[in-house]
Amino acid sequence: MDPGTIVAGILTIAILSFLYGDNPVYKMAETLLVGVSMGYVLVITWTNTLMAVLFKPLFVESEFWLIIPFIFGLFMFGRFHKSTSFLSRYSMAVLIGSGAGVAIPAMLGARTLRQMTATVEMVQGDSFLTIFSGLVVVAGLFSTLSYFYFSREHEGIMGRSARVGTYFLMIFFGTTFGYTVMSRVSTFIGRMDFLLSDFLHLTN
Amino acid sequence: MSSRQSRHLAFAGLFIVVTVTMLLNISIVATVSNETKQMFDYLDSLPESSVIIVSFDHEASSLPEMKPLGLVILRHLFEKDHKLIGVALLAEGTGVGYRLMQETAKEYNKEYGRDYVFLGFKPQFIAAILSMGESIDGTFPEDYLGNATSEIELLSDVHNYDDVAAVVSLADGSLTTHWIEYGNEKYGVQISAAVAASMLTTYDPYISSGQLKAMVGGLRGAAEYENLLGIGGSGARSMLAQSSAHLYIILLIIIGNVIYFRSRKKG
Repeated sequence: MDPGTIVAGILTIAILSFLYGDNPVYKMAETLLVGVSMGYVLVITWTNTLMAVLFKPLFVESEFWLIIPFIFGLFMFGRFHKSTSFLSRYSMAVLIGSGAGVAIPAMLGARTLRQMTATVEMVQGDSFLTIFSGLVVVAGLFSTLSYFYFSREHEGIMGRSARVGTYFLMIFFGTTFGYTVMSRVSTFIGRMDFLLSDFLHLTN
Repeated sequence: MSSRQSRHLAFAGLFIVVTVTMLLNISIVATVSNETKQMFDYLDSLPESSVIIVSFDHEASSLPEMKPLGLVILRHLFEKDHKLIGVALLAEGTGVGYRLMQETAKEYNKEYGRDYVFLGFKPQFIAAILSMGESIDGTFPEDYLGNATSEIELLSDVHNYDDVAAVVSLADGSLTTHWIEYGNEKYGVQISAAVAASMLTTYDPYISSGQLKAMVGGLRGAAEYENLLGIGGSGARSMLAQSSAHLYIILLIIIGNVIYFRSRKKG
């Protein structure tokens, strides 16, 4: 058995020992996980971001225009001192401005316009089932929206619509919760599969 | 019994159910759902030797679910002789992605650089997706192993998404959304996904709108896909444990409700 499997097996048992209760072995494994994860991300970020995208092109390949993002990056550290904290606002302004400029048109297109088109297209389907599904989606859309519309009191038609909206929301949350439980159970099964087959060789 | 004791008892029960069913070592054949069939048919319909980007958009913590999904997708793509470009938009997906590609490539005698390449991790996923739309080798001047991408055979005719037939995003979170918003919406590249079960409801609307070509999800999805490929794997092996665990949870819900209503009746 390779050392990696032995270490992984022992650490998995250490994490599972939390089922018995909080204990030093679990704490040790948890701390190790956080430390190793942070170390891994730090090394990857240093190698793939700072070295590959900034330091190497700037100082080795003489791409001097990179001095501008470098300075803006340094401005972010200005937040550590009261007298220089204003500098970070320039960096944040560039970051939020460019981020919003890129994100708003894309999100408007992909999340709003295309989704609205798809909703209408379903109602225009060619079979009874598709049209029925489309009508359910439209009813779900308007009733859920009415639940989140707070400029008018939820009374009369508005109140009934909002109530129907809560049912759609409950169905959505219930389904999502069910899938999340399924996902967590899968994670546990995956670890048990590793323990029983790779580590303990009790199954194939 | 205190709530702490009952919680431990519930977890211990789940532990016993999963362990016993796994020790039985029975693989059950999962009935293939329409969604998984759609994903299989979609990847199967791509012309032979298509260039496909496989994006490892997940963390190591979701590996038990993402590994079986990643393996079946990679096996299918290698079986169809597609040319694969591996990337990772999350740092933790880097090592996992490289290992999975290497492992499956070996099974199908695929050569690194000619049949597949792993470009590694790129921070700032939105910028990375947009940048690859302009130039893949500009975004990744070097691959994961430090080779210059300009010298890699597979990438000699691949410059941006125009030369890519599809992107398969292996995601445990919302990163596939960014592929849809920026890769598909801006550059028109076709997106499909293999996702953790918890993300299935999030991506369903994108299937209906056609922004996501196809999707397979969770350990069950992996088992169904293994069934379609005609191979065994951890997906099928885990299905009995998965089903038993679900039955156990349903039983707990019923018991919990009975206790709740009985205690309410007593006042």
